[in-house]
Amino acid sequence: MTIETQPEDTHVDNCLALGSIVSSNSHLDYTVEIYKETDRERAPQIDEREFGQPVFIQKSVSGEPYLVMGVIYNTQLVDPDQGRTGPRLAQSDQGQFTPGYIEERTTLAGVALLGTARVTEDGLLTDPSHELPRWTLEVDDIVCQCPDELTKTFHMNDEGGLQFAYADRILNVGGPLGSDVLLSIIGRLRSMIADTDKNQRVLDVVEQNITWQAHTDRGVIR
Amino acid sequence: MASPHRSGGDSMNDRSDVIGAVSGPGDNPNEFLFVTPEDQAVKTGEFITYTVTVEGESRDVFARVTNREQIRGLPDTFLADPAVAPETIAATLGVPHDDTDLYQLTAMVIGYYDTMMSTFANPRQLPQTGTPLRIAPAEQLEAVLPNLGVDSTTADVTERDGLAHTGWLLNRPTGEVNIRMPIDEFASTHLAILASTGSGKSYTGGVLIEEMMLPSSRAALLIFDPHGEYDTLSEMQTHSAFEGDDGYQPDVVYFDEDRLRIRISELELGDIMAILDNPSDRMQERLAGGWRAMQNKDSRTWGVDELVEQMYTMYGEDDSSVGGLEWRLRRSIQRNELFQPEANVPLDEIVAAGQCTVLNMETLDSRNQQLIATVLLRRIYRERLNAMRGRESDIECPVFALFEEGHRFAPGSGSAPSIGILRTITSEGRKFGFGIGIISQRPSKIDQDVLSQCGTQITMKIRNPTDQEAIKKSVEAAGEDVLRELPGLTPGQAVLSGDAMNTPALVQIRKRLTDHGAGSLSATEQWSETYDRQQSQPVRSEPADFGGGESTGFEEL
Repeated sequence: MTIETQPEDTHVDNCLALGSIVSSNSHLDYTVEIYKETDRERAPQIDEREFGQPVFIQKSVSGEPYLVMGVIYNTQLVDPDQGRTGPRLAQSDQGQFTPGYIEERTTLAGVALLGTARVTEDGLLTDPSHELPRWTLEVDDIVCQCPDELTKTFHMNDEGGLQFAYADRILNVGGPLGSDVLLSIIGRLRSMIADTDKNQRVLDVVEQNITWQAHTDRGVIR
Repeated sequence: MASPHRSGGDSMNDRSDVIGAVSGPGDNPNEFLFVTPEDQAVKTGEFITYTVTVEGESRDVFARVTNREQIRGLPDTFLADPAVAPETIAATLGVPHDDTDLYQLTAMVIGYYDTMMSTFANPRQLPQTGTPLRIAPAEQLEAVLPNLGVDSTTADVTERDGLAHTGWLLNRPTGEVNIRMPIDEFASTHLAILASTGSGKSYTGGVLIEEMMLPSSRAALLIFDPHGEYDTLSEMQTHSAFEGDDGYQPDVVYFDEDRLRIRISELELGDIMAILDNPSDRMQERLAGGWRAMQNKDSRTWGVDELVEQMYTMYGEDDSSVGGLEWRLRRSIQRNELFQPEANVPLDEIVAAGQCTVLNMETLDSRNQQLIATVLLRRIYRERLNAMRGRESDIECPVFALFEEGHRFAPGSGSAPSIGILRTITSEGRKFGFGIGIISQRPSKIDQDVLSQCGTQITMKIRNPTDQEAIKKSVEAAGEDVLRELPGLTPGQAVLSGDAMNTPALVQIRKRLTDHGAGSLSATEQWSETYDRQQSQPVRSEPADFGGGESTGFEEL
C-alpha cells in the first residue's frame, strides 16, 4: 500500500485527521482512537501520531471557530485477543485465524490539552492562550495533526518570545512522561526557529531545567 | 480567609505607609521576623516602628532591620545562561515574575522612647503576627536616636544648642534624618574615633571640632596633632558659619615645636626613669633621692645642673652612680631642647573657651610627643582639680583634648609615660570637666583601660580582625550588629554608639566646612610634575622644588 504524502498545508481544515475522541480521564486528559486504513482513506502514519505530536480539535463556541490545542502524551495498544489461551484454530497455511475481531485491534492515544487559540478567516491560528481550556470536548470530536507552523505560532507570545505557560499542567497530567512531552515539544520548536534566534538560548535553559528536574525526580541525580 | 482585622490594633483604612507585616518571633528574644514584597525596598539597618499598648498607653516601638532573606523568588536554575534574563525563562514557562518576590526581614526591637527615663525602654513583648510595620518618621528619629533627653518623641531638636551635627542616617536620603550628638555627653565621658587609614577618621575629628567651635558651643579644645593634619582649621577664624551674633569668632592657635617646652621640674620621677638609658638600681635610688630633694625646694625653675649638684651633695663627689647618672641626664635631658629649666607651655595660652589649640608635634619623636602630652595633661588635670575644689586655677572652664594617633599616647603594649595620666583622666576626668578624644586606626594597639572608658564611639571601616576583636572587647555598646557593619562601610560612613546615642546608628558623616588637610599625597602626580620641572631645568645641581603641598616634610626631602 502506498500513501502519497501531501505537502504540509497549514489551513486548519486541511490538516491530517489522526483519530477521534473516545473517552476522557479528566477535563484535560482525553483518549483518542487513532484512525486505521479502514476508517480513513488517508490514515496517519506511525510518525504522524508519535509521542509528543501537537494536535488540535476544532470547536465552534458561540459561532466562533476555535482550536483546542493538545499533545499526544501517551499511547496504548488494545487487542481484545490478548490473553486468550484457548485452542488455536490457525492452520499452517493461515497465519492467524481471525474470525472478525482482528479489526478491533486498535491504538489509543492520550491527548493532554495545552490551551486554546482562535482561527482566522484564512484558517490560520491566532491569539494563542495557554490558559486552561474551559470547554469540554465530546466523543467523536476529530483530533488533527497540528502542523509545525501552527505549533510555532501557538508557542509565541506577543513580544516574540516563546512560551510554555502550560508547562506546570502538562507535567502534572503527563505523569511520569510529562517532562518528556515537554522536551519533545521543545525539540520540535528548536527545529522550527533559526539557529541564531535568541530564543534558542531560552530553550537551552528551559530544556536544561526540565531535564535536570526529571533526572532528579527519577533518582538519577540526588 | 483571614480576618481583615488582625491583631495589632490597626484598621484597614490607613495602611498606605505600611511596609510589611510581622510574621512571627525570631531566634533571639528581641527579634521578630516580618515579610515585605519586593517593591518595599527596606534596607538593612533601617529603623521601623510598630504600635503596642504598654500599661494602657499606646507606644511607638522602634526596631532595627538586621537581616534580609528572600523567601520567594525565581529559582537559581533560571540563571543558567547569563545572556538570558531569568524573567524571560519565567515568562516562557508561564511562571509569574512581576512583583512576586517576597522577602523575610529580621528586626531587632530597640524599644519605645520612655520620656521619664529619656531613653529607650524594651516593651518585653514581641509584636503579634500581622502587626503592621512602618518606616520610622525622620523627625522622631532625630529626636530619639541621639541621647538628647527629649521629653517627647515629637520634640523639635533642630534649633537646640550644644549639639554636634555629625551627619545623617545612611539608610535615608542625604540630610533627611540628621544626627546631632550632645556635645556635653561625649566631651565629659570621652570619645573614641576608630577607623582604618583612609576611612575618614581625621575628617570626622575635623567635623566634631567644627561643631564644638560653633558660636553655640565655644569649646576649649586642645588637639595633639602628631602629623600636622589640622592646619586647615584656621579657616574657622574667618568662616562666616562660625561668626556669633555677639562678634564671637573661634580662635585657632598653633603651637609649633619651638614653642613646645617642658619645664624639668614638671616631670615626675617615673618620667625621668623612662627617658634615661637603662639606669642601674643604685642609680635609680640616687636619682629618686635627689629628685625628691629638688621637688621639696621652693624654686620650680631648676635644671639638670642643679639636680646633679644636689645629688653630689647628698651622695658625695666621688659617687660613681651619680657620675653615671650625670652623664645620662646630660645626654637625654640637657641636650634635648624640649626640656628647659624655666620655659613652659603657659596653660592660659593653650586653654580658653572659644579657642582651639593645635599642638603641632610633627617634628618631635614619639617619646617627646608622649612626654609633652604627659606633662600637659598632668598640669591641666591638676588645674581642673583645683578649679572644681574651689581653689585658684588657671583653667576655669572644662577642657576637651583630642589625640590624633591615640595609640601613640596610650599604647596597649610597651611603656609610655602618658598612659598613667590618660587612664586617670578617662576614668575620673568626667567629674572635673576634662574630656578626652582618642582617634586611632589601631584599636588593638590602644590601652584597653583607656579605650573602654571612652563612652562614645565613632567607628568607621575596620577590616582587621584583631582590631575588630579589640572593639568588641572594650566597647560596651558595640553589639554584634554594629561589628558586622564595620567591614562593609565606605569612607565617610560611621557607626555612632555609646553614651551620646540612645541606640547605635549608621551615619554618613557630614561635609566639613573647612578644608580637609590630611588627604593622601598623590605620588604619581607629584612625580610627573617634578620630572617635568627637572627636565626644564638644565642645571641639575639646583634643588628640586616640590611645590607647596599641604602635607608634611617636603622641605627635608
